[in-house]
Amino acid sequence: MAPRATDIALDELELVYAFIYARVGNRADAEDLTQLVAMKAIPRLREGAPASAIRGYLFATARSVLGGFWSTRLGLSEAELHEDLAMAVPPAPPSEERADTVQRILAQLSDNYRRVLELRFLHGYSLKEVAAEMNSTVGAVKVMQLRALRAAAKVKETT
Amino acid sequence: MNRPENRVDKIVSDLLRGRRLKLRGGDGEEKAAITAAARLVSARLGPQRMNPAFRKRLEAALESAPSPRWLTRRAALVAGLGLAGGAVSGWLGARALEPAHQYAPGPVARPGGELINPRNGRWVDVAALAELVEGQGKRVTAGGVGAFLFRRGDTVNAVSSICSHLPCELAWNSGGGGLLDCPCHPASFTPEGKSADDTYGLPELNKVQVRVTAAGRVEVLGTA
Repeated sequence: MAPRATDIALDELELVYAFIYARVGNRADAEDLTQLVAMKAIPRLREGAPASAIRGYLFATARSVLGGFWSTRLGLSEAELHEDLAMAVPPAPPSEERADTVQRILAQLSDNYRRVLELRFLHGYSLKEVAAEMNSTVGAVKVMQLRALRAAAKVKETT
Repeated sequence: MNRPENRVDKIVSDLLRGRRLKLRGGDGEEKAAITAAARLVSARLGPQRMNPAFRKRLEAALESAPSPRWLTRRAALVAGLGLAGGAVSGWLGARALEPAHQYAPGPVARPGGELINPRNGRWVDVAALAELVEGQGKRVTAGGVGAFLFRRGDTVNAVSSICSHLPCELAWNSGGGGLLDCPCHPASFTPEGKSADDTYGLPELNKVQVRVTAAGRVEVLGTA
């Protein structure tokens, strides 16, 4: 039996959801934003967009919705969010490529920065556990975490 | 707690616990660190799929949109689906009979915007007209009715302080172009109660009855 139009949309929206989740890092926001993309897309797609344009349109909408999300939440202008809005349309479902990208970013950080981010984000350590592991204090780890995140953001923008 | 490392760590801790991003205006200075943190958290979890319950909700929302021809027959054929014309039109026809969903986009009439008429309502003095600043929303309560007041000259209009989508208290955001923001999802409303986003057609906010007395007092029809 041929798939229903709704099922095709839902499969495309799965990609949109993964795309958005990878950028907001939590389910609740990813669900809200995916729903927003779906609802924004209905009237436009109703006009008769060819199927080949559906994914492109959904991801263009996702980029715009994400730009609006960050600018609303952080009080920033869209211009300041240029790099978020310029994200490429993924040609296929997200793969292990993202994990590789993270490893590539971490590899460019200093040893301490890489360590604190690996322990905190990839291994889920608490600040206290990171401090114990690195023979440091919770306060110092917090500062290092912030500096490491700033450094990681710069790597992302230049690669 | 206001030090940037503390604020960013609070956000990181929330993300690591799977919580929603709760950001404040000042966090914009740490935008790069916050977006990097969100990406690292998701990288730890790997590619995510929709929760089945959410997928079902989304499916229901798509199917109950007022005119579901968002994927046309031509588009379906281009996609190589080979849908039989009868099957397509049958499905579309069936959907067209269903009631409009609250997200109704485009020019379709949206529900909402109803006048709140409290049972045994009474006029409650909530402010002096002179206290209200043009261009600024003021949150007031009149018994069980919560409202935002907006002054224009000597007149005042009032809209419900509850979002028309999720039952959350709206917040006045003077920095965001003068809109009422919902804290529970990305939606905003104008002082007239209309959704600030034309394409994401949320219902209008319900209207609250308000009057200005001869003595310059603002009264809202609320509950005892």
